[in-house]
Amino acid sequence: MLRRAFRAMGTDVELLLDAEPGERADMALDRAEEEFERLEQVMSRFRDDSELSRLNREGVLENASLDLVRVVELALDARDATGGRFDPTVHDAVVAAGYDRTFDAVASDAPEAATAPTAHCGGRVRIDGTRIVLDPGGHLDLGGIGKGYTVDRVAELLAVLGPCLVNAGGDLAVRGGSWPIGVTDDLTLELSSGGIATSGRDRRRWLRGGEERHHLIDPSTGRPATATPLRVTVVAGSAAAAEVAAKAAFLGADIDLPHVVVTDDGRTILAGGLA
Amino acid sequence: MTDTSHRLYAVVIAVVVFFLSWAAVAAHPWATTSTDPRLAVLAQREQRLRADAKLVQHVVDTRMAAYRQALRARRAQIAAVKAQAAAAQARSLQVAQSSATSSSTSQYSAAPSVRVVNLPPLTITRTS
Repeated sequence: MLRRAFRAMGTDVELLLDAEPGERADMALDRAEEEFERLEQVMSRFRDDSELSRLNREGVLENASLDLVRVVELALDARDATGGRFDPTVHDAVVAAGYDRTFDAVASDAPEAATAPTAHCGGRVRIDGTRIVLDPGGHLDLGGIGKGYTVDRVAELLAVLGPCLVNAGGDLAVRGGSWPIGVTDDLTLELSSGGIATSGRDRRRWLRGGEERHHLIDPSTGRPATATPLRVTVVAGSAAAAEVAAKAAFLGADIDLPHVVVTDDGRTILAGGLA
Repeated sequence: MTDTSHRLYAVVIAVVVFFLSWAAVAAHPWATTSTDPRLAVLAQREQRLRADAKLVQHVVDTRMAAYRQALRARRAQIAAVKAQAAAAQARSLQVAQSSATSSSTSQYSAAPSVRVVNLPPLTITRTS
């Protein structure tokens, strides 16, 4: 079993590849690492020179890369499929909540801004070929779905050499083989293809003016979601789809995919055919 | 007076005759008019060079014509390839968008087989 670990997209990435050690495997793992870097340069909202940052800055992007077009398309379809619970236009709400820089740089506590900016959710996004246009004042955050998309892409790359698993901070994709994946301390799921993602408020949270905030915005309020389970883990056909479904389920959507809900009081609920 | 005038005329005529004779002798009218061999060689060389220049110009013209023809053909090929690439890109974009759309909708309903096992995990999922 070959293993490669590194940091990308603000999280720990782990690649597992069931293949013979050698030059080809090393090249594949190198290529996989480069793919993370390449796609981060496309979709990061924390890099001023990324494609997404240019789109957010200018409101329109000509000749967008195919990857950005596909992810935006996926995100818009996800918005439709989840009734708006998943929404890539929550960017301003996420920033208003305090997640305005890489999470490593977000202060654990800071005073509340004197005037919180109005969160803008649900804005239109138009795609015409490789041209993407946002509503005036609209901005996109492709953090979660972008990471899921990247994990799927890298898994496809590595699958050429053998069964593989790609894990980017909890967003997982698997191709071939059987992979036991820990969901809680007492629960392990075995997966041979597809993806797993977990959305919750047990991580990526911080304080603003003494109030706890987290990164999962409820698009209907434009603020971090409340009255939610602690976290939801979903199994789907891909990591990107699992990411979308996990976020929607976290915000209360009924989904027919295998999923695990962990409540605040520590209960673990299996659903969607897992029980 | 008359004698003096005659003598003066005679002197003038003698001087004129002298200079005319001098000029005639200086012109070497008896010398042969045969061509200098070096001039002949130069003339031959000039003719050869002119002939060579014509030949070179002909070769250059022929090659330039062939080059221009090849250039036109190559430009036509490049234009055709560019047109094909643009068409292929448009098609792939269309396919990618449609596949992304179809996959994004199918992914929500189609889940891979998964089961709960009693094995130590190889890795974990957590809030991302």
